[in-house]
Amino acid sequence: MDKLRYIGKPEIRVDGREKMSGAAIYADDIDFGPDLLFAEIVESEYAHAIINSIDTSEAEKLPEVVKVITGKDFPFKFGLYMKDRFIFAQDRVRFIGEQVAVVVARCPKVAKRAVKLVKVNYTPLPALTNQMDALKEDAPLLHEGLENYNHVPWFFPKPKTNVAHWRKTIKGDIETAFADADYVLEDSYEVPRYSHCPIEPHVAIGKYDLSGRLTIWASSQSPHTQRHVFAEALAPLGITHKDVRVIAPHVGGGFGAKAGVTMEIVAAAIAMKVPGHPVKLLWSREKEFYNTYQRLGVKTKLKMGVKKDGKITAIKHELYWDAGAYVEYGANVVNAVGLSAIGPYNIPNVWIDSVCIYTNLPPGGAYRGFGYSEFLFGLESHITRIALHLGIDPIEMRKMNAIREGDLTAYGAHMNRNGLLEAIEKVEKEMKSEDFKPSSPNKVIGKGFSLFWKAPAMPPNAASSCFLKFNEDGSMNLLVSGMDIGQGYLTVMAQIAAEILGVPTSKIRVENPDTDRNPYEWQTVASHVTWGSGNAVLKAAIDAREKIFAVVERTLFMSKESLYLEDECVKCKNDPSFALPLKNFVINGIMMEDGTFKGGPILGSGVFLPEFSSTKADPDTSQGGHPNVHYTVGAACLFLEIDKETGKMKVLKVVEAIDCGKALNPDLVNGQIIGGIVQGLATVLYEDMRYSDKGKLLNANFTDYKIPTSKDIPDNIVPIIVEVAQPDGPFGARGMGEHTMLPIAPMIGNAIYEALGVRITSMPITAEKVFMAYSEKK
Amino acid sequence: MAIAHEFEYLKPNTIDQAIDLLDKHKEKAKILAGGTDLVVLIKEGYLTPDFLIDSKSIPELNKLTFSNNELFVGANVTFSQLIENSDVKKHFKVLWEAAETVASIGVRNRATLTGNICSAVPSLDSAPALFCFDAEILVKNKQQERTIKIKDWFTGPKRTSLKSDELVLGIKLYLPKSNNQSTYKKLGRYSGEDLAQAGVGVVVMENNQYKISFCAVGPVPTRAYKIEQFLNGKELNSDNLKQTKELVNDEISPITDIRASKEYRTQMIKVMLERALLESKNLLDGKAVHSSPIL
Amino acid sequence: MKKINIKINGENRLVVVEPNDVLLDVLRDKLGVKSPKAGCERGDCGACAVLFNGKSVRSCLVFAIEADGQEIETIEGLSVNGKLSDLQEKFIEHNSFQCGYCAPGIIISATELLRSKQHPNIDEIKEAIAGNLCRCTGYTSIINAIVDVSKKQ
Repeated sequence: MDKLRYIGKPEIRVDGREKMSGAAIYADDIDFGPDLLFAEIVESEYAHAIINSIDTSEAEKLPEVVKVITGKDFPFKFGLYMKDRFIFAQDRVRFIGEQVAVVVARCPKVAKRAVKLVKVNYTPLPALTNQMDALKEDAPLLHEGLENYNHVPWFFPKPKTNVAHWRKTIKGDIETAFADADYVLEDSYEVPRYSHCPIEPHVAIGKYDLSGRLTIWASSQSPHTQRHVFAEALAPLGITHKDVRVIAPHVGGGFGAKAGVTMEIVAAAIAMKVPGHPVKLLWSREKEFYNTYQRLGVKTKLKMGVKKDGKITAIKHELYWDAGAYVEYGANVVNAVGLSAIGPYNIPNVWIDSVCIYTNLPPGGAYRGFGYSEFLFGLESHITRIALHLGIDPIEMRKMNAIREGDLTAYGAHMNRNGLLEAIEKVEKEMKSEDFKPSSPNKVIGKGFSLFWKAPAMPPNAASSCFLKFNEDGSMNLLVSGMDIGQGYLTVMAQIAAEILGVPTSKIRVENPDTDRNPYEWQTVASHVTWGSGNAVLKAAIDAREKIFAVVERTLFMSKESLYLEDECVKCKNDPSFALPLKNFVINGIMMEDGTFKGGPILGSGVFLPEFSSTKADPDTSQGGHPNVHYTVGAACLFLEIDKETGKMKVLKVVEAIDCGKALNPDLVNGQIIGGIVQGLATVLYEDMRYSDKGKLLNANFTDYKIPTSKDIPDNIVPIIVEVAQPDGPFGARGMGEHTMLPIAPMIGNAIYEALGVRITSMPITAEKVFMAYSEKK
Repeated sequence: MAIAHEFEYLKPNTIDQAIDLLDKHKEKAKILAGGTDLVVLIKEGYLTPDFLIDSKSIPELNKLTFSNNELFVGANVTFSQLIENSDVKKHFKVLWEAAETVASIGVRNRATLTGNICSAVPSLDSAPALFCFDAEILVKNKQQERTIKIKDWFTGPKRTSLKSDELVLGIKLYLPKSNNQSTYKKLGRYSGEDLAQAGVGVVVMENNQYKISFCAVGPVPTRAYKIEQFLNGKELNSDNLKQTKELVNDEISPITDIRASKEYRTQMIKVMLERALLESKNLLDGKAVHSSPIL
Repeated sequence: MKKINIKINGENRLVVVEPNDVLLDVLRDKLGVKSPKAGCERGDCGACAVLFNGKSVRSCLVFAIEADGQEIETIEGLSVNGKLSDLQEKFIEHNSFQCGYCAPGIIISATELLRSKQHPNIDEIKEAIAGNLCRCTGYTSIINAIVDVSKKQ
């Protein structure tokens, strides 16, 4: 294999200069001129209530109010995996903050004033703020029409209950295995809801122009999927996909919050009611907390059986998810976990119940990790507990049970090639080289270890595509519809094309998409675009290269097989003096002696769809399907210093190894490792979502929902890149963006146990919780 | 974010002009200095003043002076200015340390000490220092200029004894004549910016004399007279510290809220008080001490 | 309504404002200066940071009318003859930022620090940007770039 010139190098981000200079345009930066209207939501004050009436008359009278819109105007359902949501609440509200009506005005101040004048009359209903209450026989039904909801064929709602989906994965015979086990440990774990907190709040601008064309500008991870959802939901108003265009500028952070569809559809709908005028809907930070997706909460019951040598023989994992008022996206989190909640281990007897439960809290949805952080907290705590009970080194126990290539996953498919053992060894080596001593007599040090894994949770036809075109100076444009949400996607796509076409990354423009111009990408989620979109870019580049070689062959009579691309030229292995600059012909064609031109503009196109993926499986056991394309695995450890007098914790060092197949850009991979570790630490140590018993979010701001500052990062983070190539990945690459935060919470739990002898089984694990638990123990 | 509430903006150039405006508009007016508190309250609809009186063009309110053991902090003096002042750092360390823990640089460049005490939130970081140095607030209205002792300033959570027609001119702090060291300890949820969930300021003087004050553990910040009475004249040995910590229970009345439980606040105040006392004593004795105000 | 004069990045700009117009909104919506961002509107996140008479402030907590006759600097003004500042170049070189939304605020905070201190230590660097929340990077790559710039000052 020839030496790689662009792949595997820490190339400078293609969007770096734009972002550092202030030139980068985010959705709220776009000017729409003096005709721009401003929308403000009237939101529900009750977690569960019937809407008796909405009186908009006072609001409509206010000068500069253009329109007041309510649910009556949009009795249309939408949803990604299940259509259980209306654009505006119809006959009832199901969470505090749900949009009931919207005021559209010429000026944002007027819109705010008018919102206060809209009078909504409610009859409050009993609200369910706890998923276990929602499961009870006598619980009120939050979605009476559940059995009639359209949903993807691999979901199993339970009619006449609050269970929107129940994923069961059953393999082998757990009862016998538990009976034969030498040791069985059973316990419950609890992980609450979390908020993504991208620094840029959601924003969407809609314009339905007078020719009947709807354009949405949005901070988005999913322009094409959003276009699809808008077109479907608004079809009754006479619109089809051809009439809908989504333009997605730079995104100020996504983390899953800007995937799927939340407030963007409200902007689209409003726009259709004020044809000819652009209308902006901008979320405040408060709304960003309670009226976008949240990470689902979960209560789990975990039972594991082992032999005395540490071999895990059986696992029963019950996960009860607080999925919120609408589960159109969140139900897939429940599904994904239902297939994978055994962790990266080879376990012959498996029983997983992953239950998606409606509650009167904000809708749960995609959040970095897609349910895996939530179940790994319990699982990786549990395994360390078992190891310690048996007197086995927790790392040795992981090695013994680690899933290897060819082993069966929970649903009976074969595990892909992976570097899990290599990751474990490298982390262990780094771990054993440290000898931390407490910095004062009241402090103690503990270390925690954890494995992690995750597969992209996608429908089997999640596709990526790419158009490629050259310019007169030999530079090129890649047209893709993945989003750079910070991970460096645009840069990596450029690197792939650079490697194939011999053009430096700096001469490749990859920019944010417009669904009219850029070809389809399912969504930028699941850590899959490096792999999926990368494959599409690879194919497009190869396609363009083929065309270049073909035209050179037929005009200059050099055999295709002898040609290669380097330094922006076509070169020939058989003739070292031959170097035809691309810029000479990639637009103009090759000039012949007789004055004719051959060829013309060089274009490439590529499409990637994982044709081997299928959700067809036994509905009662999940056996037989291939729902996950592949898993990415890794291992990590951390060192924690705890002040016994206060519970205050300091992370001294974190080591994390992840097998990303091939690090296409090591700087960007390290960026994900460090950023993910800090986000993981934030969820376990600092972020603490508090709801009132009426379902109101009490800390919807950064004053009281704490995300880390520069003063809260670990002293030392050691990222380790493992590269066991993904056979079907571009240059061997596999996704890794979400995974880096997965092992953090259980490592903290394990480190605290080692240091203080206290096992904490619920998150967050704040200093106060540690102090109180330790005081009780004393 | 657009603000729906409308108000008039006034910009006096002298104290007398400001007082005239306050006299005219009384509770319909609010003084705008740094605005880091006020603007949030207006944005979120908690305050709806009809007039904002910008005090930043009144030069006398910018004074920050130290002489005769008295520190005068004019009403416009920001936390950044306090931090940059070497007299504050040297002589009023508990105030200096508290200032450093307030929010972030971008907020401290605007937020004023006077604004902090006018907000009167129970968690305000500057209070322990002000109590420990027997601070006095100078206020003036059309009728008179008067002095309000710090112990009479706070009347309840977010309430002060300042009248609606009074302008705060500044705050005076009195340095004890004897050698002393002081420190501030704050309980936050992490090392980054946070409101205090518990705060303690101590001044340790020669001959085992102490001044102690708490914030965030009661409806108003307080001076711990009972503890001072017990501890004055005594050494900081483990028995005395043990008893001191017991007495804390009588001095504070913390609540449980979304930030912390009252049990945790109570326990941490005890830990912080002990650490603060020992650190200041060590400094007074010339020993080096390495620690941070944030627990 | 009042017509005020704000010097922005060296240029005197005239703009009509109401007393309740926030400086951040006026910069972005009336004056076309888009780099300061709205992240929280309460001064908690630092995305709106600008230099006000040389000192970093939360422009979401300043009324535009308070800036009458004052000087504002944003990152657009850090370019000299189309050349970015050393700090901005270092951030590009280090691939420090990811989504970039917090970058203007952090550049302002770091610029204030580097103007006042030739060679700040790590703690001073962390303190300078402690009021700027970043959700993507974990801050390490940002701190490394600032350390690198300060070595060359």
